[in-house]
Amino acid sequence: MAAKEAYSRFMEELLSGKFVWTGELEPGKDIKESLEAARELKGLVTACNVTDNPQSFASISSLAAAHVIQRETGMECIYQLRCSDRNRLALMSEVMGAGILGLKNVLALTGDYVMLGDTPAAKPVYDLDSTTLTYMIHRLVHEGKDIAGNDVPNPPKMHVGVAAGPGVDPIEPEMYKLKRKVKAGAEFVQTQVIYKTEVVDRFFKWVKELQIDVPILIGIFPAKSYGAAKFFDENVTGVDVPREFLAELEQTVKIKDKEKRREETDRINIEYFTKFLEHLKGTPAAGCHIMAVGYPRIIPELKKIVE
Amino acid sequence: MNAQEQKPFEEILEHLNGAKKIVLMGCGGCATIFRTGGIKEVNDLAERLENTGKEVLARIGLPFGFLCCYLPVSSKFVEEHIEAFKACDAVLMMSCGDGAQTVREYLDEKGVVKPLFCVNNALGYSGGGPTQFHEECLGCGDCKLALTAGICPLTQCSKSLMNGPCGGVRPDGKCEVDPERDCAWVQIYKRLEKLGKVDLLLEMREPHDWSRAARPRREEVESIDMMEELARTKRAIEALGVR
Ligand code: SF4
Ligand code: SF4
Repeated sequence: MAAKEAYSRFMEELLSGKFVWTGELEPGKDIKESLEAARELKGLVTACNVTDNPQSFASISSLAAAHVIQRETGMECIYQLRCSDRNRLALMSEVMGAGILGLKNVLALTGDYVMLGDTPAAKPVYDLDSTTLTYMIHRLVHEGKDIAGNDVPNPPKMHVGVAAGPGVDPIEPEMYKLKRKVKAGAEFVQTQVIYKTEVVDRFFKWVKELQIDVPILIGIFPAKSYGAAKFFDENVTGVDVPREFLAELEQTVKIKDKEKRREETDRINIEYFTKFLEHLKGTPAAGCHIMAVGYPRIIPELKKIVE
Repeated sequence: MNAQEQKPFEEILEHLNGAKKIVLMGCGGCATIFRTGGIKEVNDLAERLENTGKEVLARIGLPFGFLCCYLPVSSKFVEEHIEAFKACDAVLMMSCGDGAQTVREYLDEKGVVKPLFCVNNALGYSGGGPTQFHEECLGCGDCKLALTAGICPLTQCSKSLMNGPCGGVRPDGKCEVDPERDCAWVQIYKRLEKLGKVDLLLEMREPHDWSRAARPRREEVESIDMMEELARTKRAIEALGVR
């Protein structure tokens, strides 16, 4: 369901039709780096996602971290909330809590399986899934009801978004699910990282076919080093980093001079993403979600391509 | 049926914690099919225990079809060996935890209170056979198979999702948790497609009602006439030529 009014700057920019950039912060077990990164990203992106136990590694609560980041740095946050670790009662109380802490955007996620992280013996919850979590938040904000149908006197004003995984085969189950999430109340979409323009085109073909009518930000991952790209390729399910891109980055490992290696890495990324972003201009994409953790210097270059 | 595997022998000895006189009781149901508590396994374990110096007071093997978890049958076997139960230091149940506790409750009610444990690890409802089995149902108490092409997402999806695949589906449609297995929602989609019912995927399913699974659950039914049922079974076996 497309938003009718904006409660956040992020939604305001999306509704204005501007090409919107979002970044990503991973508080992990110490928020220091995320605070620094938020300061660096300020002015480069409109808002930042704050991850919730990413890859099921126990991390600082995304709600607490997002609140502190907003307060300390002024960076608007899209706080991520996953179903892996909380039942519907805990999810409900957390979203109401997010409201009083002034969070205006939330990304409803199913969440990686708990066994894949650093606490594999934990009991997986998944009482809700991303669709029912989206609906729960939608109903809270727009109808002032909690999940059991009880009245909530001063419901928070926030926007709920969802993720999408355009790279899977068959794509149909994923696209039907996305449609279902939008029907349930999702107001924006941030996709999993995409590298191939064919994947973008197939995705938007389905978006049109199923009449998915909310702003969609395409996920991209410029890699600050070969190691980062390789880690991403091996550890993030649902995405394969293209072999050519990886191979090119691998060559930079041989460059001894740090400065030269940086330049070459930037050159490879800019070359790859120029083609990609030029292509994106011809699609209905509303913006880009940049997963480049620790690589803010590349962002102005990427923005230039679109502007 | 309830899939199961036998615990390592060392763990069994550890649980016995020095107990000398043992009663062993098997099960003619799932435990026979899974080779964790059939008559043969009862004898095998009895011998291994005797080789370590234990005294096995009774080897209670139940013929195939006689379920340890069904008291009208299993209580008769218990009664037959009640003196051994009274005299033993520990009871080893070669069933699933269900059969084991059903017998434990029966003994407790009779005032025969003994250390009792299960030598098997139960692994949940599974179907298939004779050699390959897979888990198909959680016993959630509110079956939704009609909405999901006859494939249970609560069981087949590692995350028990009711509204389509998670973001972890691999590019080839395999599950995030197990690259060998198709994502449950890919399977459901493919089957709905064959049934011409893909539209079912556009409807949001309410969160599952877990109150039906609040534990422990109790059921009451009218008892069956066992002799009549067995006579039917015999006729069916003869007609089908089952061996
Ligand atoms: S929905 Fe699944 S777990 Fe529930 S009863 Fe049906 S098959 Fe079993
Ligand atoms: S990949 Fe499919 S089966 Fe595996 S956890 Fe995700 S939705 Fe469930």
